[in-house]
Amino acid sequence: MKRALRICASVVALAAATAAMPVAAMADWLEEAAKPLKGTEVNGIFLDRPGYRAIIKLLPEFEKKTGIKVNYEIVPYENAREKEVLNFTSRGDLTMALVDLVWIGEFAENGWLVPVEDLAKDKAITDPNLKLDGFFPLLLEAFGSWGGTVYGLPFDNYSGLLFYNSCKLKEAGFDKPPATWAEFKDVYGPKLTDASKNQYAYALQSRRGETQSADSFMRFLWPFGGSLLNKDFKSNLNSKESQAGLTFRQDLLKYMPPGVVSFDHAEAVNALAQGQVAMITEWSAFYSTLADPATSKLGDCLAVAPEPAGPAGRLPALGGFSLAVASQASPEQQKATWLFIQWATSEEIAKAYVDAGGVSGRMSVYNDPEVKAKYKFVEPMVASWQAGVPEYRPRFPAWPAISEIVAEWGSKIELGEVSVEAGAKEIGTRMEEILGKEGYYDGKKKLLQ
Amino acid sequence: MSDTTTRAAPAKPNRGYGRWTPAWFLAPAVLTLLLIGIYPTLFALVTSFRRYNITRPRDGFPFIGFENYVNVLTDSTFWSSLLLTAKFYVTVLPIQVVLGLVVALLLHKPGMGMLKSLARVTLVVPLATTYAVVGLIGRLIFNRDFGVANQFLGFVGFGPIDWLSTPNGAFAAIVIMDVWQWTPFCALIFLAGLSMVPGEIEEAARLETSSKLALLRHVQLPYLLPGLTAVMILRSADVLKLFDMVFVMTRGGPGSATDLISIYIQRVGFRIFDLGTASAQAILLLILTIIISRLYIRLLYREVH
Repeated sequence: MKRALRICASVVALAAATAAMPVAAMADWLEEAAKPLKGTEVNGIFLDRPGYRAIIKLLPEFEKKTGIKVNYEIVPYENAREKEVLNFTSRGDLTMALVDLVWIGEFAENGWLVPVEDLAKDKAITDPNLKLDGFFPLLLEAFGSWGGTVYGLPFDNYSGLLFYNSCKLKEAGFDKPPATWAEFKDVYGPKLTDASKNQYAYALQSRRGETQSADSFMRFLWPFGGSLLNKDFKSNLNSKESQAGLTFRQDLLKYMPPGVVSFDHAEAVNALAQGQVAMITEWSAFYSTLADPATSKLGDCLAVAPEPAGPAGRLPALGGFSLAVASQASPEQQKATWLFIQWATSEEIAKAYVDAGGVSGRMSVYNDPEVKAKYKFVEPMVASWQAGVPEYRPRFPAWPAISEIVAEWGSKIELGEVSVEAGAKEIGTRMEEILGKEGYYDGKKKLLQ
Repeated sequence: MSDTTTRAAPAKPNRGYGRWTPAWFLAPAVLTLLLIGIYPTLFALVTSFRRYNITRPRDGFPFIGFENYVNVLTDSTFWSSLLLTAKFYVTVLPIQVVLGLVVALLLHKPGMGMLKSLARVTLVVPLATTYAVVGLIGRLIFNRDFGVANQFLGFVGFGPIDWLSTPNGAFAAIVIMDVWQWTPFCALIFLAGLSMVPGEIEEAARLETSSKLALLRHVQLPYLLPGLTAVMILRSADVLKLFDMVFVMTRGGPGSATDLISIYIQRVGFRIFDLGTASAQAILLLILTIIISRLYIRLLYREVH
């Protein structure tokens, strides 16, 4: 609560400062601001995902306007953190940090990011229309903030959504998607599954790695009232609610294709796109893949809804990346990078960004009737972002180590190698060992996640 | 006949060739080796005695004696990964040696020169393929729904197998891909060994016996032993550092079914960034490789006279 208040205070202060600027300064502020920075280079890391391809499409406009050159390297997600950590620790050439929501604690605590407040103090390089309060508050807090300080602006934004084949549902006698997980399992699951025809109701991406820990394991904790940690940072996995969620995941397996434990995002999306399954819960960013006739057979049958609600309500998966200025950059590069980040996440280009395949974190663009009509994912996604858990996955520096444990034992639970209870206990023991070493139990570290 | 025609002219002093000339020629190789081989090993050795997590720079990198080694030796995951790696090694090596020997013997047979040359060239293809690409090919081959492996099983009347999503299936899949990639290496090494057998001895032996097995055992095998020793040493070192192919195919999963030691070390080193522990693990593996190599040489290696 305190943290949320601090973020609100920062947002209000920045809004007041930018609002006080003369309107004349707003026009062409970017060109004016970039004049002394012409020729400066911004270096960052991008992923091979729709949001990055979208900004790459729009880049020439920024470079033409500012004379700033944006260099990017496209790397697989699995290597992105490794690349950035090595670069920051060796004081490399990156001037911009791409921050997954689970990296923000690590990057911020190590001083690798410049707080937005420090950058925005320099009015000459700050968009008069920056409007931090124009971002979805959940995204700004989860993706860009740590300990009450804003470091990054939400750039590549995801919400877990229910993508489904409306034609298959109709054939099975359903005119709308399931509203709750219970309905999903008990009503939709049996009717949409026919193993003899290789037809299944659902595919849950569960490959070992972040896919298992974030997309598969955690997805069934929050809606059932469970969580990874309790308020004392001890394991909460053996609580009644967490156990109910994880047992529910096991019960759902009979409505999924065999081999789902090795499914990554590509396989799950493909299973829906090619008609093997009727429903998947995937990141909003995969909409363009499912809507593209070159990669999907769905056509008009593609439909999108918010993820089903559990006994604790609708708490869908939350994920995404912010862009932040790297503290290792020279002052000139920091300024140029700040300009780029503001532009890339601005309201001004939000519509163009969405049209190019990105998912903006700005609220205003989704009020546009044209955008609403054109993109089926907008309404459920906006609904999902109204409420959610910023710590859907803990964002502290210990997460990568814990994620590995969850990935290993989460897969073992799913395979039936260990029981839900025993697997959860094993994860809990190992996780507490890590958190103990980190200093969370002896008061050395604040209980921030 | 004059004296000058019968005696060789005294050699002219070779200008530019001095006492240090050989050293200059060797220097680039030695320096490169120091830079890319010795220095990282020494760095890893020093790091293994420190608390060295690069994502915790504020904690510093203090020397902690043998703490990392104690942690590694008491880590159950380390031992289970090492055991799994040993299981992988004893599974793949006999298959590769037997298949490699069969291929080498076939190629050693007289006749069909053109076809044999072609076969030798094609043997290099799997070896030249990058590990990560082998992993990608593996993911496609063992895909449950459209993979070639299940298509083939379908032709011979078996149902589809969940290769990559069951512990045994995933282990079998990485074994098959490793056998595919490294059998040609064994074949080429054995072929080189067979070509060392003096023709007259082999011919004489053929006159003595019609048994191919006796010929192999008493005449050809002694020439194959040095190659076999090399194969075993190289393959044990290689299996201990086998990473890319397995990571791309299974990421060590499902569960920990393919969590080989290199996958585990990479995770400790580059996911958790605990370079102190990862270095201790790597140094222990280096020691293990040296011990295994010495054992092979002592038990198997024989000079042929």
